[in-house]
Amino acid sequence: MECVVQGIIETQHVEALEILLQGLCGVHRERLRVHEICLKSGPNLGAVASEVRLICNLEQTEPTWTVRHIGGAMRGAGAEQISVLVRTMVESKASKNVLRLFYALGYKLDHELLRVGFAFHFQRGTQITVTVASVNKMLQLHATDEAVPVTPGIQLVEVTAPATSENYTEVVAAVSSFCEYLAPLLHLSKPGISTGVVPTAAAAAASLMSDGGGEELSS
Amino acid sequence: MPLKWVLHWQPNAGTTVNSQIINEVTQCVESFNGVKEGRWKATITFYKPMIREQALAGDFPRDFLGIALPEQPNKYYLIIRLQRIVLEADSSIQMIMEKLQSYKSRVSLNFEGFQYQLGDFQLRVGKVLPTHSENLRGIVMEVEYLPISSMEKARQVMEDFMDIWQQALSKRSLPGHFMHMEPNFAEYGLADQYTSQHTAVQYATVMAQLIATVQAVQARN
Repeated sequence: MECVVQGIIETQHVEALEILLQGLCGVHRERLRVHEICLKSGPNLGAVASEVRLICNLEQTEPTWTVRHIGGAMRGAGAEQISVLVRTMVESKASKNVLRLFYALGYKLDHELLRVGFAFHFQRGTQITVTVASVNKMLQLHATDEAVPVTPGIQLVEVTAPATSENYTEVVAAVSSFCEYLAPLLHLSKPGISTGVVPTAAAAAASLMSDGGGEELSS
Repeated sequence: MPLKWVLHWQPNAGTTVNSQIINEVTQCVESFNGVKEGRWKATITFYKPMIREQALAGDFPRDFLGIALPEQPNKYYLIIRLQRIVLEADSSIQMIMEKLQSYKSRVSLNFEGFQYQLGDFQLRVGKVLPTHSENLRGIVMEVEYLPISSMEKARQVMEDFMDIWQQALSKRSLPGHFMHMEPNFAEYGLADQYTSQHTAVQYATVMAQLIATVQAVQARN
């Protein structure tokens, strides 16, 4: 299982977000460049239609592959009251021929994306990952070098944390409380519920940038 | 990692495998002063496509296997033999396959037995049994040569060892012999340096042989 929230931010404020995250997490950012291939089962295959994501990490010298299955979101009155989405998620690392295997099994390419940005992995009540990335589409099949942004000037921010059915309430609380720190710059909500950019972003970003500058001068 | 050969017991025409053969093979290993080291177990699962329209069954692989090997307890291997694909993944891939509900496991076979150390060689002799059954379906043997990981460099020493082994075993006049069918690893994109993917491919090959043997017996009857 995982807990997840998403939000968007204008590219011009990403640097301020990075400064804020750096201060909050106390770790260095990692560069992010992942090719995500979404496959769907062919029309005749499976008891139900299914979807699987193959994620290729292009930041490594030798690209590494992960198979990711995202299951249904937790439902019920309790799930609706919380501001974080809790869903099943299973991942498995795989060798580089994983796309060939899934094609052979009868899966078809649905769409592919290239995410470029950075990520922070840190411990704050729970293990949290924040990714900030521009989402790009490929004009030609698998042509990651010629990708163009899906939404120019806007980047996607995602906060995720692994959870289990035993501890998810604590993880949700940790994620929610972390998100409050980012509130001046962006609003985070369950995926699929877009809340747009926040009006205070420009002022908050300006303040963060000047604070950052001040620190540098005094050091 | 050290290379190994996976062999299967090929019964003589008109005979079948039985546990007496396992006992004789085990005694033979012990007569080589093999040091018994403990149990081992590998599992092969056959996956079957879940198809909505049976007429289109031919569009999907019918030889899709999943293999769990004791040498890599956190990994799982998926193989489509006819298309020469071997995939190495984490064990959690089994859970993903389950959640996708596009292929379901049809039957599983365990390969289990004892492991022996003979100098630089490690031998594993095992029964092939369907899970939850004692119905012996075959016998396998793994011969691992610890100092070398290049298949080609080790070929001579492996062949020499097998000669000695077959000679010793032939004295017991058993109704069959161990057979080594080396798959064409290059077709699977595997190089000369041995990996667990090589082991998985060998098991898939052994499995195909066992099925062919059973089918041949059934055809005769």
